[in-house]
This record gives sequence, structure tokens and C-alpha cells, in this order.
Amino acid sequence: MHGKTQEFQDVRSVHGTPVAVAVPSRARSFSSSSVLSVVPLFLVFLLSAPLTFAATLHRGVGPEPDSLDIHTAQSLSALNVLRDLHEGLLTFDAGAELISGVAQSWSVSDDGRVWTFELDPSARWSDGKRIVAQDFVTGWRRALDPATASPTAALLDPVENARAVRSGRAQPGALGVGAPSPHRLVVRLERPTPWFGELLTHPVTYPWPGEGTSRYSGAFVLDGQVPGARLELLPNEHYRAAGEVSLDAVTWHVIEQPNVELTRYRAGQLHVTETIPPGRVDWLRERFGDELRISPYLGSFFLAFNLQREPFADAAKLRRALSLAVDRDILVERVLGSGEIPAWGLLPPGMPGWPEGREPPLAPGERLVEAERLYREAGYGDDRPLEVELRFNTSLTHRRMAAAIAAMWKLHLGVRTRLVNEEWKVFITNRRQGRITEVFRGGWIADWRDAANFLQLFAGDSPGNYTFFDDPVFDGLMRRAARERGDERLRILREAEARLLDEQVIVPLYYYVSRHLVDPDVRGFEDNPMDIHLSRWMSLP
Amino acid sequence: MLKYSLRRLGSAIPTLFLLITFAFFLIRIAPGGPFDSERALPADIEANLAAKYHLDEPLVFQYARYLWQIARGDLGPSFHYRDWTVNDLIIQGAPVSFLLGAAALLLALVIGVITGAWAALRQNRPADYTVMSIAMVGISIPNFVMAPLLILLFAIVLGWVPAGGWAFSFDRMVLPVVTLALPMIAYIARITRGSMIEVLHSSYIRTVRAKGMPEKEVILRHALKPALLPVISYLGPAAAAILTGSVVVERIFTIPGIGSYFVQGALNRDYTLVMGVVILYGVLIILFNFLVDLIYAFLDPRIRYDDGETET
Repeated sequence: MHGKTQEFQDVRSVHGTPVAVAVPSRARSFSSSSVLSVVPLFLVFLLSAPLTFAATLHRGVGPEPDSLDIHTAQSLSALNVLRDLHEGLLTFDAGAELISGVAQSWSVSDDGRVWTFELDPSARWSDGKRIVAQDFVTGWRRALDPATASPTAALLDPVENARAVRSGRAQPGALGVGAPSPHRLVVRLERPTPWFGELLTHPVTYPWPGEGTSRYSGAFVLDGQVPGARLELLPNEHYRAAGEVSLDAVTWHVIEQPNVELTRYRAGQLHVTETIPPGRVDWLRERFGDELRISPYLGSFFLAFNLQREPFADAAKLRRALSLAVDRDILVERVLGSGEIPAWGLLPPGMPGWPEGREPPLAPGERLVEAERLYREAGYGDDRPLEVELRFNTSLTHRRMAAAIAAMWKLHLGVRTRLVNEEWKVFITNRRQGRITEVFRGGWIADWRDAANFLQLFAGDSPGNYTFFDDPVFDGLMRRAARERGDERLRILREAEARLLDEQVIVPLYYYVSRHLVDPDVRGFEDNPMDIHLSRWMSLP
Repeated sequence: MLKYSLRRLGSAIPTLFLLITFAFFLIRIAPGGPFDSERALPADIEANLAAKYHLDEPLVFQYARYLWQIARGDLGPSFHYRDWTVNDLIIQGAPVSFLLGAAALLLALVIGVITGAWAALRQNRPADYTVMSIAMVGISIPNFVMAPLLILLFAIVLGWVPAGGWAFSFDRMVLPVVTLALPMIAYIARITRGSMIEVLHSSYIRTVRAKGMPEKEVILRHALKPALLPVISYLGPAAAAILTGSVVVERIFTIPGIGSYFVQGALNRDYTLVMGVVILYGVLIILFNFLVDLIYAFLDPRIRYDDGETET
């Protein structure tokens, strides 16, 4: 057995002499490897080591999943576990490329509005029953039923009448999904949706296992769960590709804090971590070498301006000056230092239609000159410096970055910045209300691989638009893009991004990376831009 | 004694009621709600969620609904861990936290009293100074520093025990229990030493010694019992310290107790979960203080709780 998995070896017994009262020292076989032993000082513990499996993959899941109901789950950790337990019409391979799932084939009508799926006849629930098209119909109707109150239901919006159903204006039966036969599913969309295939990998679109049942459509079944500690998964013997699953078990460990997760990885209790602690990349690289996996991730980090309040309302020049004065390279290398990519645009490289990130607007030296010029034109200067509040949610990384940005603004422009850090819920509430925010932390991670997913945030009618950017030109471009397909659509979306950047609604700072520690024993873990790693692709010797 | 006990328990009810009322409204005042996240939800979905969890009702109605619920022993569904009720989470987490806390308290009592008494008998000698210096260090090092140090040494460098996780086994329990117990061992040792020295100088100890009683019996039968009184009264605050201390220890050792629900519940604005843990902690602290008072009467014959009159 590998040295790092000593935890799973058999029992190390601890014997001692009972004091005062004679406690009977009995050895009882609890599981294959349990011994009751007596230790000094009245403390009697049951020594039980977990059942030893030939190949149990131990993964960090991050915080406790909020739910394992495919319709109520929302947290990243829950979605990761659900992707092991269930499967949608389509799924991801190890590199996060779309492959067939419960649907073995599908076709799209010429107008792009009708998708027809042929279900794999070998697709079964974990109780052996066939997964039929009606299971999807039931599931989607339940997801949109107001009584279910699914927080992710809006992902189904492209489906005909989805909005009306979820707001209670139409009966679930009006939803544009039907099962003409047990193995055929037909979906009618409101409008052509090029990324609809990607959506079908999200748990909210999975077949519904039934109320109160514990059956699973995925490669694994849930064998046990201790809230706050772990979720234990066993292979699903009825899974359509059960033969390809080589692991004997998967345990997802609930670990809130990255530091604690690192400790447990070092102690050999984890094969794959969910993340790494911030600010220790150099040390980790030195210590772990290739075990440290840092890879581009479809997410973007930026500062956003509140465009409906002073000092940034109608102040494009000032916003531009602040953006130009931030040296992204220093930020990424010196402050963050875990392989993040400096950003001058919103859309991360690797997004379809975005082979590369945006080029910096000017040469480094010219940027500062231009920044100073714009700052003065906006009416500020040494005699009248800008005073601004930079707001972020409490985190060591955010604080360091905010301090660095404030220092750059101070040095190059003379801006007086007050750093305001707030607890998470306070921060998002303030950001959303927009009553006291000025410039603040923002960011977006791809729900699916499509530019509109990022850009939609800034539409005038978007519920999440915390910049209050309400621009007819931008909104017009987004509406046009929604009607177009293919390259023309991507071209319009690029134009929309350019508009957003020209108006300097945000200060792009960097593109995200995914960060894991992966034990050298683990095979089949591939870095990918969605950072989705289904356990079914992994194996252990 | 019975009358006293009943009255004490009866007076706990208004205390708990006040606690519940304060906690209920305080957590609602905190900005943000259980369903706010990085991505703002569409208005109709927010409305659906609010309706499902009765958050759309006036606050007073919600409060009345909650009181009616807990009167029936139902702490409600968790707003964040949506597959579970708060009762489920507490029933699964509380035994773990109790076991951890009880083991730590017991360990602290035994070791603390023994070392404290031992140091008292060697008052102002090198052994005494050594023990008390170590105790001072033990009090000064917070458990969020102690825990990683212990993990580094015993789990990573020596590899004797796992770095975290929980099972009802010696190797999983030893580090968290010791971490939690260390500062208490130090406190109890110091308290025991102080009161032991005082008792040893009292006239009745001089009397029994003069009567020629063997030293061992003097210490164990006559000195130690009264010397333990301050230790017993420390147990009330100690229980509270264990509850709050276990929040940190449980997070560092990833132990599925209720401590982490306290923190996560508040951060997630999981109203029902926070309330459930607050009520549990409230009940425990009231109960523990009550038990301490009873033990007091048992140890010190001068204390009687007859007819509510306390003479000391």
C-alpha cells in the first residue's frame, strides 16, 4: 500500500492498564478491523478503522453540499457530488468535452428550436428500471413548479414556456418538453440556443428519480452520508457504462477550510483536493511538484463600478483612468501568484469565439500617462483628489489585492481609497441594492461555455446587474445576438464585450485558474477549463 | 432540595424564552438572507423560495409560527442544508460534540486536579514553579494555534494519528480531545493549587495533623474535598468554554459536531439552524450551572438549598 494511505491500513491497537476500577478488556470484532481496547485513565475508545476497499478514491468536496436533490442543490460542492450520482442527457468526458449521456444521439431541427433525443436503451436507474423520456418530463416540470422553489430553475429558461411555468402563469403541462415514446424526448425551445447541449450536463436537467426514492442515474450511488463529514459512494451496478468504472468506492470529504484540506492531503487522507490555500503556491510547488495542478478556468475577476451613484455615474474618463492605472502583471505575479492570467477583457480565453484574452489597450508606459490625463480631464488632480470606497467581501486574498490596487491608484493618480471589507452576505446585499457601493469586487464563473452567460450579467434587465449599466447599445447587441447563430452571433457578442469595455463598466483584473493537489496514484484526472472532474474517469492502482 | 430544583428549572423557562426572542430577531436584522448568493436569482424564483419557507409573511407571524413549532419540539427545516431538518442535524451532530466535550472535560479534571494538588504540596519549590509555568503557557496558547501544531507533529511528521476526520476511536479522538482539554488542564491546575494551599494552611488541617493522622489521609480525605470547590464552580464557565472552543476545534479537525453549524449557520443566514443551536447551547448552559450548584451542596455541607435560603 502506498505510504500516503496509511490511514486506511488496519488497526493500530493501543493497549493500556486500567486504573482504579478494573474495566474488562475485551476484544470485540466490530467490523473486519475493529478492536475495543482500554487505554489509561478511564478513556475507553472503540478503535475502528474504515472498511478497507481495494480502490477508494478520497476527494475533498469543500463545504457541505446544500442538497442532493437535483432541483434544490445550488452549491458547487453539491453539483460536483450530483454529477457522480446522476447523469443527464449529455455529460462530460475527463477533459470536460460534451459526450453522450443518457441520450445516445440527438438532432436539432433546421430552425434550431426543436431538439430530439434518442435515449440509450441500456440507461438504467440504480434499481434496474429503465430511464425513460417521461422521467425527464416529470423532472423538468418539477424543477419549474413554483412549489419546488428550485433556485437553479432559471437555467431551463430556453425551454418553451419555462418562465411562465416557474412564475405560476402557466401550468407545468405547458412546458415545451414531451415524451412521444419511452425512448424519445422532444424539447421545444423559445429560440435557437446554441449552448443548450451544455445545459443538459447541469443537474437541474437530469431525469427525476422520484419523490423520496434513493435511486440514481449516474455512475455511483450514495451509500452513506454523515453531515459535516463525508459522503460515501459505491459504483452503480446498473449504470449503462458500469464496466468502465474502475473505482471500488468514492468518499467525498466535507472540509470547509483549504488549510485543513491541505493538512489532510499531506497526512495521506485525500487523493484529490478541492482547492489549495491562497498565498502558498511557491511553497506548494516546491513541496509537491507535479501534484500541484493549476490550470485555466472559465472565470473572470474584476472590479465593478456602481454607475447610478457618484462618483462614477457619467464618469467614463475617470473609470478608464482607474482601470489604466492598475498594473495587472504585478497583481497577478506579486499579490496572487498562483498562475492567474492578467485580464483586459471580460471573457476568459478558451471560451468558444474567444481564442485569446483581450490585448492591453496601450503599452505599459503609455497607460500611466493616459490614465493621468483622463483623471485630470475628469476634473480631479492633486488639489482635488478622488476619494473613493473600494468594497470587497472579507478574505485574505481580496484584502491584499484591494490594498495593492489602492496603492497603485494613490501612487499614479493620487486617489485616496478607503478599503471596506464586509462579511459575505452583507457584501452581496449592499452590492445588489447599490445604495452605498462605489467600486467593488465582482466576478463571474461560467455556468456553461458560452459568452452570453457572462455578458448577460450586464443587461439592463438582469437581476444580478450590480453595476446598474443600462445601455441601449449594449442591450440592443445582446438582443441581436439572441436572434443570430454561428459566427455572426459570436461576432455580435464580441462587439457587446467591446462596448462594455469601452464604457469601462468594469476593471478586468484577471482570469481564474483551478487549483488542486492530485496524488500521483490517481489516473484519469485531467485539467480542464470547466474544472469538472467526474469520478468515473479516475482510477487507482 | 427537590423544591429548589423545580424552582430553578422553572425559572429557566423565561430565560430561554428571552434568549429565543432575542436570537430570533437579531439574526433577522443581519443583512442578507438565506437565499442570497453571488448570482442574484430572478424575482419569481426568489418569491417561490420565500413562500416555501414562509419568509414572505410578516416577521411577527413568523415568530409566532416558530414558537408554536418549537413548543412541539420541531426546530424546522434547515434553510441551507435543504435535505435536512434542524432536528436531524442536531441529533447527528450533538453526540459527537458531547463526546468530544465530555472527554476533554474529564481529562482536564483528572490531570488538572492531580497536577494542581501535586504542585500545592511542593509549594514554592522548583517542581511547583515548573508545573505552574507550563500551565501558564497552556493557558496562553489559543487552541487554533495548538491544534495545527499538534497535527503537524503527530499526524504529518510522526504519522501516528490521522490529521482529521471523525470516528469513535482513540486515534481519531486523541488530538481534538487533548487540544480542547489543554487550556482547561492549565486552568484547573492553577485553581486547585491555589485553593489547596489555602486549605492546607487552615486551622482544621493543623488540627488533624496534630491528632497524628497519616499525611495521605489528611490530603485525600480532608484537604482535597474543600479545595475542589473553586474547581467545581469553574465547571460552569468551563462548559461554556468547551462549547465555544469546540467550534474552532471541530473546524480544524473536520469533526461533524454542532460547533461548525453555529458558525456556518450564521454565515449562511440559516435562520432555523442558528436558532436550533442557540437553544441547545442555552439549555446546556442553564443545565450545567444548575448541576454545578447541586454538586456544590453535596461537597460543602455549609450550603443548603432548603426553602430557598442559602447560607454560607
